[in-house]
Amino acid sequence: MRALLIFSSAVDAVVAMIGKILIRAILVVVALGATVVLMRYVFNYGRPWISESFVWLNGIIFMLGTPYLLQRDGHVRVDVIYGQLSTKVRAAIDLLGVTFILWPSSIALGLVSWPNVQRSISVLETSPTMDGLPFLYVLKACLPLFFALLVLQGASIAARSLVLLLGGEVPPRPWETRE
Amino acid sequence: MIESTSELLSVLMFLAAFLVLLTGFPVAFGLMGTAVAFAAIGAAIDGFAWPLMSSAGGRLLDLMTNETLVAVPLFIFMGVILERSKIAEDLLITMGQAFGKLRGGLGISVVIVGAILSASTGIVGATVVTMGLISLPAMTRVGYDPRLSSGIICASGTLAQLIPPSTVLILLGVTLQNANTQANLQMGRFGGSTLSIADLFAAAFLPGLLLVGLYVLWIITTAIFRPKSCPAIESTPEELRDLWWRALVAVLPPIALIILVLGSIVTGTATATESSAVGALGACVLAALRGRFHRGLLVEVARSTFFISTMIFAILIGATIFAMVFRGLGGDHVVERFVTDLPGGLTGALLFVLAVIFFLGFLIDTFEIIFIVIPIFAPILIVLGADPILFGVLVAIVLQTSYLTPPFGFAIFYLQGVAKGLPITTIYRGVLPFVGLQLFAVALVWFFPALATWLPEVLL
Repeated sequence: MRALLIFSSAVDAVVAMIGKILIRAILVVVALGATVVLMRYVFNYGRPWISESFVWLNGIIFMLGTPYLLQRDGHVRVDVIYGQLSTKVRAAIDLLGVTFILWPSSIALGLVSWPNVQRSISVLETSPTMDGLPFLYVLKACLPLFFALLVLQGASIAARSLVLLLGGEVPPRPWETRE
Repeated sequence: MIESTSELLSVLMFLAAFLVLLTGFPVAFGLMGTAVAFAAIGAAIDGFAWPLMSSAGGRLLDLMTNETLVAVPLFIFMGVILERSKIAEDLLITMGQAFGKLRGGLGISVVIVGAILSASTGIVGATVVTMGLISLPAMTRVGYDPRLSSGIICASGTLAQLIPPSTVLILLGVTLQNANTQANLQMGRFGGSTLSIADLFAAAFLPGLLLVGLYVLWIITTAIFRPKSCPAIESTPEELRDLWWRALVAVLPPIALIILVLGSIVTGTATATESSAVGALGACVLAALRGRFHRGLLVEVARSTFFISTMIFAILIGATIFAMVFRGLGGDHVVERFVTDLPGGLTGALLFVLAVIFFLGFLIDTFEIIFIVIPIFAPILIVLGADPILFGVLVAIVLQTSYLTPPFGFAIFYLQGVAKGLPITTIYRGVLPFVGLQLFAVALVWFFPALATWLPEVLL
């Protein structure tokens, strides 16, 4: 059980690190967006690649940010019933949900979208727009990364839920104790 | 109604998703997981072409490169800055003092500030919470009937969904655009009527003002017939000093920002995305002018923005996969047959869809409804002859109403969360008259569609 908890904390740390970077990247989206508009309306200057920059960055943020939100329990739940349940029943729902809902779908979608991503990376695909950003493959590579991170973060949740259901002691995670 | 195994599967998938969501597993993954499971079942019994699934990657990539969707985090950023830098709070306090001398005046100023905040934040939760934290104590201190004050706060807080630029309208606009394109294809109308976010913003503007007017009329009526429920404030000379100047300083900057943002969108000068970037920048400038702009604020605001917008996008990801499989199984045909068979033609179909949205609003969040229900029902309604813009406005008001309606209205829960000690039954009784006003507004827009369609025609 100790191994499960260590594994869980390790995954959490990696996903949280990505999350911290993405949160700061929001400021870059705002700055880029404001720059694009100022250049267009004040200096009458606009290029497709600059306009694409903040749109793509936002795409990367919410894609790779979704697993982090799963870790922090930031996703919407219908809690008419869930809200009334005990910690153990919730852990069971989370464990079953990860095993039968999150994992199969993430793995299936990851596998099925992989060939296209691989092709894109092998030819270093660029934006379809004229004068667009030269690395569409980076954006596409976020897809398998998204599904892989979901599987990993799911594993972390499953591990903790399992320990809890087996009657083990689950220490609160760092951000749960912090104010 | 159901003509094949795969169509039966599509209906079962809907029910299964509903059950999965009820367990409390995150909505985004519940939708995605149920859809993939049913795609696999469909493929196994040969009703579903599994290779279709490989387009999932493309769909998600479309979301990542969608220019309009960037407006969502940018507008949220703008709203959170105004909230965290206490600009919203200043507005509530000074307006309350300025109008509080009249009976019912404080309530009216809360409604007006709610409308201004709605226009500048567009996030229902944030508006209800801010107003609950600041206006409720103020109204309680003066001796307002808690039923009236909780009704006012819930109702004007939910205006954030309707008054542009709201995230709800942007996402509704994006989904309606897709539905409209699909309907045009289905009817073989290439280059048919198009729809922009600006159209929807312009269309929702007058109905939004109409609701503000109705709320104010209701408060005035209450002040006349039940004067004890909304007494006037007795201000000390201390509070009155420089009041008009302070009110002006509090009100003008946010109003200027709203005019800049909305004006640039509805006049067609800028796209929703561009004006959201202006709004985000403008909010930073306003915070800086108050001397409240610093590094700590920025990181805190970035954090909230990230959490709110990623939460919305995750549901969009799940719902995109769900809708793709639903269509792949032929579910859209089932819905089409069902809706066209309803009595009353287009009217019956519209009423049915609005009722479905109203009741779903008790159980699931606005965004889930927009992403799941609209793509399924809107194309067929448009084919039947519904005006997508008018439909969008009606949906927005109905969604707002269900947000307000007991026993499950989300606004009620938000208010209860910040107003400790306020019994939920009090809030229930307080919001009821406002639910009535909402339904009256739906009826008005229904019978006088020009309320929604006139402004976009004049402006664009």
